Amino acid sequence: MNTIIEFKNVNKEYKSGDHILKAMDNVNFTIDEGEFVVILGPSGAGKSTLLNLLGGLDTVTSGEIVVKGNHVENFSDDELTSYRAKNVGFIFQFYNLIPNLTALENIELMKDIVDVNIDGLSVLDSVGLKNHADQFPSQLSGGEQQRVSIARAVAKQPTMLLCDEPTGALDSKTGVLILNLLQDMSNNKGTTVIIVTHNAILAEAADKVIRIKNGQIESIIINENPRKVTDLEW
Amino acid sequence: MLRDIRKHKTQFLSIFLMAFLGVFVFAGVGGESVGLEVNSNEYYNDTNLADGWIYSANLDDDFLDDVLSLSPTTQIERQLIIDSVADFSNDPEIALHFVENNTISMFYLVEGEPLDMNDSDGVWIDKSFADAVGLKVGDNITFEFNGIKIEKTIRGLGYSPEYVYHASKSSVIPDFSKLGFAYMSYKAFPMDDVPYNVLNVKFDGNASEYNDLLSDKLDGKYNSFVERSQHTSVSQFSEEMNQHEMMAGIFPVVFILIAMLILLTTMTRIIAHQRTQIGILKACGFKDRSIMFHYISYGFWLVLAGSILGLIIGPMTLPNLFYPSMSSTYILPSWNPAWSMDFVYVALAMIIMSVAVSYYAVKSIFNENPADTIKPKVPKVSTSGIMERLGFFKHLSFNARWNYRDAKRNKFRALMTIIGVIGCTALLISAFGMYDGMSDLKEWEFNQINHYDSKLTIDEEAGISEIDDVADEVGGDVIMESAIEIESGSVKKSGSLLVLNQTDLITPTDYDWNRIEIADDEVSISQKMADMLDVGVGDTIKWHIMGSDKWIEVTIDKIHADPTSQGLIMSLDKLEDLDLNYTPTSIVTAEHVDKNYSAIKATNSMKDMTSSWDELTEAMWLLIYILIFFASLLAVVVLYNLGLLSFTEIEREIATLKVLGFKTGALRKLLLTQNLWFTAIGFILGIPIGYYILKIMWESSGDSFYILPSISPMNLIITAIITFSLSILVNLLFSRKIKKLDMVESLKSGE
Repeated sequence: MNTIIEFKNVNKEYKSGDHILKAMDNVNFTIDEGEFVVILGPSGAGKSTLLNLLGGLDTVTSGEIVVKGNHVENFSDDELTSYRAKNVGFIFQFYNLIPNLTALENIELMKDIVDVNIDGLSVLDSVGLKNHADQFPSQLSGGEQQRVSIARAVAKQPTMLLCDEPTGALDSKTGVLILNLLQDMSNNKGTTVIIVTHNAILAEAADKVIRIKNGQIESIIINENPRKVTDLEW
Repeated sequence: MLRDIRKHKTQFLSIFLMAFLGVFVFAGVGGESVGLEVNSNEYYNDTNLADGWIYSANLDDDFLDDVLSLSPTTQIERQLIIDSVADFSNDPEIALHFVENNTISMFYLVEGEPLDMNDSDGVWIDKSFADAVGLKVGDNITFEFNGIKIEKTIRGLGYSPEYVYHASKSSVIPDFSKLGFAYMSYKAFPMDDVPYNVLNVKFDGNASEYNDLLSDKLDGKYNSFVERSQHTSVSQFSEEMNQHEMMAGIFPVVFILIAMLILLTTMTRIIAHQRTQIGILKACGFKDRSIMFHYISYGFWLVLAGSILGLIIGPMTLPNLFYPSMSSTYILPSWNPAWSMDFVYVALAMIIMSVAVSYYAVKSIFNENPADTIKPKVPKVSTSGIMERLGFFKHLSFNARWNYRDAKRNKFRALMTIIGVIGCTALLISAFGMYDGMSDLKEWEFNQINHYDSKLTIDEEAGISEIDDVADEVGGDVIMESAIEIESGSVKKSGSLLVLNQTDLITPTDYDWNRIEIADDEVSISQKMADMLDVGVGDTIKWHIMGSDKWIEVTIDKIHADPTSQGLIMSLDKLEDLDLNYTPTSIVTAEHVDKNYSAIKATNSMKDMTSSWDELTEAMWLLIYILIFFASLLAVVVLYNLGLLSFTEIEREIATLKVLGFKTGALRKLLLTQNLWFTAIGFILGIPIGYYILKIMWESSGDSFYILPSISPMNLIITAIITFSLSILVNLLFSRKIKKLDMVESLKSGE
């Protein structure tokens, strides 16, 4: 497997007045192509910071982030924008679909930012929502919205899918469906999926589990035989 | 509350600004116009300006008794008014007033001692003239009239209510070094028997009834009667006031309406954004009343502060921009802006409306279930409509689709933006329309109708042969201009008569500036006069020359149009046909005349006249510039404010798009598209409204002006450039906001 993401001695500090908060303290890890990675940690451990840095929403204080050989930490604002457009598929806790656009339009929207031929309908079909193509987000259930959101993220064929508590706003049954979908993306389509969550059960389904605490890596575990999401005890 | 203000500082600032600007412009422009009225009225009252003037060569005691015996008469005083020439190198014309007791149309003393009826050596002269030629109290001055020279000592300098506007017959702009007046006691007259020629009268009631009464009871015993409103000085100044009043009556009203509209929209929105907080306060157990009080006080204090500031600063500053240019034409002892209760009422209305709007906005939140209120409002649902069913919609860009649906979802905001743009466009269109109209008027009057280079005003004393000699020498044509009164049915209007004798130097035109020929046996009436009298070609009207009782009936053969003078035009033949005396008043010539002739009182070149015109209209121009400035300012505030409101509402979507990888430029374009759509719609709808405002203004610009409202392509282009560039400018202000937008923060909040 190829290593496509590498964090080297990453530090992130936030200043508030005289007080300096270390949100990332010398973090090192690698992620391989096609891996299904779960990042675990209690609230405030630095999970979101890690995701924001990786997603190009925030910049490091020091250290290197190498994605497919590119040094993300040196990117300008514009380069970060293109980086996000090309490499990162975001999936948010609150879906963040554009309410003014239909499910299909939310996906086809991506044509405006990446040079990829997107067949919106077939992508929607892949998440089982072909029949809801012309509905607006507000007319869809939470699980359906999250599936549209996944479809939107994968449509542009990004280097990685970054999922921030993707099931946080869903009931557990729907949540499992979503996670299963994400695991499928990784296993069958070779998409690198990175999920941030505080739900430890998911660890058993991951190829790699990165635990963080107080801004530091607590452990990195590689599961030789990850279980299927649907087989987990919820 | 202070914390809220800091957080929403731009919106609060814009509420404050809107209240301030609205009241500022309203009270400022209004204060100017009200100020003119108050100042002139006070002046007229303080100096007891005559209600009317009876002109007669024979004002003996019997006649005075007759006038006093008319029941409305309250006071009379005789004066002898003679034109004299003062002993200066430029031969200034000074109107001498020998007064009987100076109780009516009193001399307004500025320096020196008050007018003394027993002083036979003293003279009280026009301060503007004295200042222009450097005369001081104590100096001697010599006047010459009818071959008599009198020398007097200046006892005082001041003004007269009969000379607020004082220009010679040949020039509309007073040249104070060439023109003036002087007051003296009747005892200063070199003869014992003073041949009084004017009787100043004060009377109760209606002037035209008094006129009728006079002509009824004292017919033939006097020459003519001039009521106050027809007096040259009074009427010229009141015409000027009318123009200002009309401007003050239309522009600021439109202006304040837009300001109010936007202010109320903003307040509603701010409160709507506070719904969660209101919910929390309610949940914490705050009483409705105290929450209500808190939110109402926002609007109240801001609008109150803005209005009060506008009420104070408006009348203090704006009028002072106009008065200097006016005081070069008109003489008033004081030029002070005035307040009117109307301003306060408008400000009060603004405050009350803002409180009412806050009340209803908060109330509607209270009416919801508190449990729902705590949560942010569920976004309005987008639905598919007709547009989506049309085939082409699918092919529209994402940008167009997004904007269409966003506008559809936020109809209220869209409507307000459009209305705001309509208002600003209408203001700009009409301001530029006025600019065009004023320029057109000048071109029409001084280029299309009048083609002479010099106009020589004939001395009343000059004989016909003398006049003909001069006319031959300068190769000019003789014309007659006279003040007349025209009547049709129950409408009576004063106007002017122009008698032309085969001249190419003055060519009447129709309203399209096409030259029209008025045949020798035809009478033509000006379009505006015809409109005012409600007559047309073929109708019969009655008219007479001012100062003559002879009413003449004529049938209208033609209609011409003239921008500045309304009345009749006819040929010399026609005049003689009607059995009227031909009394030439001017010679017009294509040559440039510098020479002085004894038969000629004054010579004016076309250049003099156009520059006088420019000076006379200076205040109008200024007003137009100010309006253009404020209309633009208003447009910026309106667009920025509404843009800000919509930005706050779609911040989350913008953040999402940014996270997904949309570039700042693309997002800016997204917002710009919507702004441009609304601006385009507002612009198009604003054009007819601007035209309508313009039309009302020209129609109310006084009886003698005739200007057709027109909107030139240039006007449209400039207005479009201003409106659209403001729209783009405002958009640029947002691009910084998009750049600074905190993506992480915006995404955290739940739906």
